[in-house]
Amino acid sequence: MMTVKRVLYVLGIVALILGLYGFYSRLFIGERDVNYGSYVTWGLWVAMYLFFAGIASGSFVIATLEYLFEVPLFKGTGKLALWAAMVTLPAALISIGMDLGHLERIWKVYLQPNPTSLLAQMVWGYTIFGGVILLSLWLVARHGHRSTFAVKALMMVGFVMAIFVSGGVGALLGVNASRAVWHVGLLPAQFPIFSLATGVALMLTIVSFFGTMEDAIRVRLQRVLSIGMVVLLLVKTYLLWSDFSMSLYSGVPQNVDAINAVMYGDYWWSFWILQIVLGTILPIIVLIMPNWSKNRLLAGLTGIVILIGFGAARANIVFPALSIPELEGMAEAFSGPHLNFDYFPSLMEWSLTIGVVGLATLAYLIGIDRLPFLKQTSSEVTQ
Amino acid sequence: MSEKENVKQESDFTRRNFLKGLMGAASAATALAAYETLVNNPEVLLAQEDVVSPGIVTALTSADDGQVDILERMRAELSQALQKPVADRRWVMVIDLRKCVGCHACTIGCVAENKLPPGVVYRPVLEEEWGTYPNVGRRFIPRPCMQCDNPPCTPVCPVNATFKNEEGIVEVDYDQCIGCRACLTACPYGARTSDFGLTYTEGLPVADGLIAGRTNAEGYERVANFEYSEARPREGHESPIGNARKCHFCLHRVRVGELPACVTTCIGRATMFGDANDPDSLVSEMIAQPNVMRLKEELGTSPRVYYLV
Repeated sequence: MMTVKRVLYVLGIVALILGLYGFYSRLFIGERDVNYGSYVTWGLWVAMYLFFAGIASGSFVIATLEYLFEVPLFKGTGKLALWAAMVTLPAALISIGMDLGHLERIWKVYLQPNPTSLLAQMVWGYTIFGGVILLSLWLVARHGHRSTFAVKALMMVGFVMAIFVSGGVGALLGVNASRAVWHVGLLPAQFPIFSLATGVALMLTIVSFFGTMEDAIRVRLQRVLSIGMVVLLLVKTYLLWSDFSMSLYSGVPQNVDAINAVMYGDYWWSFWILQIVLGTILPIIVLIMPNWSKNRLLAGLTGIVILIGFGAARANIVFPALSIPELEGMAEAFSGPHLNFDYFPSLMEWSLTIGVVGLATLAYLIGIDRLPFLKQTSSEVTQ
Repeated sequence: MSEKENVKQESDFTRRNFLKGLMGAASAATALAAYETLVNNPEVLLAQEDVVSPGIVTALTSADDGQVDILERMRAELSQALQKPVADRRWVMVIDLRKCVGCHACTIGCVAENKLPPGVVYRPVLEEEWGTYPNVGRRFIPRPCMQCDNPPCTPVCPVNATFKNEEGIVEVDYDQCIGCRACLTACPYGARTSDFGLTYTEGLPVADGLIAGRTNAEGYERVANFEYSEARPREGHESPIGNARKCHFCLHRVRVGELPACVTTCIGRATMFGDANDPDSLVSEMIAQPNVMRLKEELGTSPRVYYLV
């Protein structure tokens, strides 16, 4: 698996280089070159925020399997999962930070917050969650695999926070009564499941590619993660079906238009090919086959493909709902830059997102290669 | 004309202007009280020219058909409303869709008044068509901020940068806004836009030797506007660049007794503005009509913009 790691290092470096343009443009020129705007108010970066934050929450929940619930099979995976949470949470926060018109005023959310705003609650929630991850890693680095009381207590707090923040971002969208397709109670309920699914997908990739435990344990772990993944993918598909069918059968035009935009709009391929075929059907086929799910390369790649599918799913939640005019005739009433209901991310947006992915990938790889307590995990488990 | 006569005329002119101004200020209430009489009996108006402000007299008599320009009535009512404590005013806007001809003058008037950059619009005019030929219809729907009494945009703000002020106008505190666009997403009317820092003149070729070249035009774009009665030149990444922006019923004008720009620029007098707490005001009369409606009332937002259909 060293070759895979080398390939990932190269891809990470290339992605980071490609991302330099996006970072430069955003930090030194501003938001002029973005394609989101006043009508499609949230674009790729918000979708990526939901995506990365979901992985962080899901990864933390997986870490609790070792440190809180003490599941023997997951011994040795806790640090890897915590480190995954540690690199994906900043990736999420960079993505959403770049989306802010005045990032330099973020301190106001801490010192002058509106406590009833879900956005403020999320900022506070992620700050606490990030602190819990950091502290957990520090304690785990000090105490190795022993689940001390402090670690368990932190895991409990972190578990609750993981559910809170992942459900919270669902609510962040869902509370917008003006966006009929979001305004369903199901949204905050399904986001923690999506988060757990992405956490499991990443762990499947990590264990398959980098797991240094005994082969028998690794194979069992891959199998368990694969079964868990299949269950989560089926649950996700059921939730998607219930969401879409409810919207379509209710016949509310704004709802129906948004769902139609996802399934038959300009970016139908994002839904059918990325989200459904690559992100759901193909992985289910691979992972239910015992031999395939135990294959390191195949299982690892399947995890990545699932993550791509979930990335597309996040985008398909955010963009289409915003692509439906609030009032008929708005699209034609006044024209100008950033006044468009058709959204596809600009080159600069893609660049920055690719850079963030590269940054997170490199941070993860460097961590497991260089941080002593993460390297120790591998050797300890091997023993 | 001798110099002495010139001086005298100038002196008279100044004195007349002074008296006009004095009368204008003092007689706003008188004008309003006399309003009904004036409307119903224009001849009385001429006979009593000295009791109302000359400006109003001119305007009232300027219409060919003897009808009173509602702008003057609204101005007088605005002056009266401004005498009341702030919390006792209830600003509302009424738009008569039957009178709107879709000229977009209000949109442009608003852009000019608030010096809105590309991509920022407070009052677009939506066009709606229906029916099948030959039975077709078309109407124009100006859409300012609804200044909802129950606004969905304010509670989502993480830093209380947008709020409903004492007069019921939903404001944006530009120095507080972090630019998250949650309020844009929450507004059911799409009444907020984000300022991405663009200018109309950017990228245009420079025409050397012309007085009104790109440089001058760009200078004009950078000069401060006066939203919320604050001077804000467009410099660097200073607010309102990066902020959410929206219609505020031209609060900076209203506070000094001027009607919102969209009201004064409406060529069909389709847009009316005033204090709905004054039972005798034009807007109070209008919103009591049976043909009044508000956009998306079912959401419970209680808009302060009414439409006559």
